[in-house]
Amino acid sequence: MKKLRNLHGPALTLALLCGLWLIVVVGLAVLKPSVFNLGTVTTILQFSTVLALVGLGQGLVILAGGAGIDLSVGGTVSLSAIIAILSLKMGLPPVLLPVVCILAGALLGALNGVLVNRLALLPFIATLGTFFVYSGTALAVTGGAAQSGVPAWLLLWGRGVVMGIPLPFLTLAIPCFALAGLVLMSTAWGRWIYAMGYNERSARLVGIPVDRVRLILYALSGALAGAAGLVSLAWLGSGRPNIGQNLELESLTAAMLGGIVITGGRGGVGGVFAAVLLLVTLKTGLLQLNINTVWQVGIVGALLVAVLLADRLSQRWRS
Amino acid sequence: MNAVRQFRNGVISMNGREWSLLVACLLAIVVFAVASPHYATSGNAITVLRNSVELLLIGLGMTLLLAMGGIDVSIGIVMGLAAIAIGRVLGADGNPLLALVVGPLVGALLGCVTAAVVVLGRVPAIVGTLGLLGVYRTAVFVLLGGQWLSGLPATLTNLLAASVLGIPVPALVIASAYLAVWLALRRTPYGLHLLAIGNSEEKARLSGIPVVKVRFMTFVVSGVLTGIAATFYVATYRNVEMSIGSTLALDAIAAVILGGTSILGGRCSLLGTVLGVLLLRILQNGLLLIGVPSLWQPVVTGVLIIGVLGFEAISNRLPLARFQRARA
Repeated sequence: MKKLRNLHGPALTLALLCGLWLIVVVGLAVLKPSVFNLGTVTTILQFSTVLALVGLGQGLVILAGGAGIDLSVGGTVSLSAIIAILSLKMGLPPVLLPVVCILAGALLGALNGVLVNRLALLPFIATLGTFFVYSGTALAVTGGAAQSGVPAWLLLWGRGVVMGIPLPFLTLAIPCFALAGLVLMSTAWGRWIYAMGYNERSARLVGIPVDRVRLILYALSGALAGAAGLVSLAWLGSGRPNIGQNLELESLTAAMLGGIVITGGRGGVGGVFAAVLLLVTLKTGLLQLNINTVWQVGIVGALLVAVLLADRLSQRWRS
Repeated sequence: MNAVRQFRNGVISMNGREWSLLVACLLAIVVFAVASPHYATSGNAITVLRNSVELLLIGLGMTLLLAMGGIDVSIGIVMGLAAIAIGRVLGADGNPLLALVVGPLVGALLGCVTAAVVVLGRVPAIVGTLGLLGVYRTAVFVLLGGQWLSGLPATLTNLLAASVLGIPVPALVIASAYLAVWLALRRTPYGLHLLAIGNSEEKARLSGIPVVKVRFMTFVVSGVLTGIAATFYVATYRNVEMSIGSTLALDAIAAVILGGTSILGGRCSLLGTVLGVLLLRILQNGLLLIGVPSLWQPVVTGVLIIGVLGFEAISNRLPLARFQRARA
């Protein structure tokens, strides 16, 4: 107990998340022991990939402060996947599919960045607007129908498994998180992001290019959402216009659970990674227990509210 | 001292923004009337007005929230929950008085929940209400048990379709809600406090304004208005479907922003919101009639939000605006 009290910051977050995760796993073990096998692990990691990529972008945008938030991530995932698959139908060489998907995401994200930076719109209202534009366009262009035509080699990657670990998770999610962690911990860019999140005014005064960093982070969040769209294409074998549904809520919950403070400047990506695994384990567990999927969005929403309130309470408790 | 100047405005005070909205409404009507033969009929005009009732009431509450620097993205589903409660009362053959009261009551209760999370818990309004949106959506599914609440008795319908002295009841209710909100906003300390909080919460707190109380009350008022909207919804459609209210919050935010209420707080226009609601519904109805699939509606609304805010941001930087600000 004493040791637990000495923990703080990222270590405390990680310890709490591991505790919660153990509770979920033990609960699942008691209720339905038959789910414990390598297949379940693979499924969880498979489902985690999309949320991990989107949650990473969301986390970085929030970390950089300035009331930063990206509510459009779900729409970006859907729309970039739809743009990629439709441009394939219009004669794009299949080799370029991944490039187009990620690039489309980056451009959609950059548009958010321009709205926030150049026009000085509040991030939540700008990205709320683009969320409806992006997700609405994805639905309206396709009429709501899934678009087939993903090349076979992409499916090979999307559905491939190495030692129980899905290939997209191994080759995309893990490297992205490792890179982001490295950049945050040991480069000037990482320091800049923390500095502008903690106090934007003084960050500007010491000469950090705040606007450029912010624009790049919004574009990066878009690019990661585009990558998530690519994963969904490669895994499901079709472009679904509603694949990004509820991702804005889930990615926010992952970022907040992962210890990133909503006002920015504090937190890390390791916590987000752990939080994504926790969330997806929970969702998979509910699915295995035959609980209707409509409960998922409510539980994720309740978790978001709970973690925000707990954060406030712990601040009051400490002071 | 923008807030103080607004204090002197009349019940219906038209400035540039409201006039241009009115012109935009008329222009849209003319364009759609030319484009579609089905547009300029009295039946369609009634449809547009009828479809605006809920949004007008919810928009009034959203105006207060945005002017205060808050927001509530769960408000559409709150209406859904209130509608379910009304439906249950009606289905149980309850008396009409109870059916009339239960909507605002549930709205006020859920407003308290939102306020408890956002105001007392000091959580950013957008994140807190997004979380609650998830919870409420599950609640709607669970309460409806996977099927529509349909074929409700016409108790409320007969009550609310009546007219007093030739004026339909919905128009009366909306007019009195408008008047009540306008009075609170422009003739009581509450209104001044609200706008001051919108300008700067920190400064408002330091000057002794009861920030927590004002913010809490505003969420409850928005909830009550949403509950009244739910009553009209049930009275009109006599059923509650799964997707009830899913785009209402977006529409309300768009209407309020169109109306010239600043999301940075400190400036708001109730008349602007009313005209914003009408313009939005005229556009949605007109686009549908000229053959644009309804799937495009959220796209149009989103573009309107970003377009209006972007236009304001750019025009604020023009030399004329700078000159006017310097003079003020």
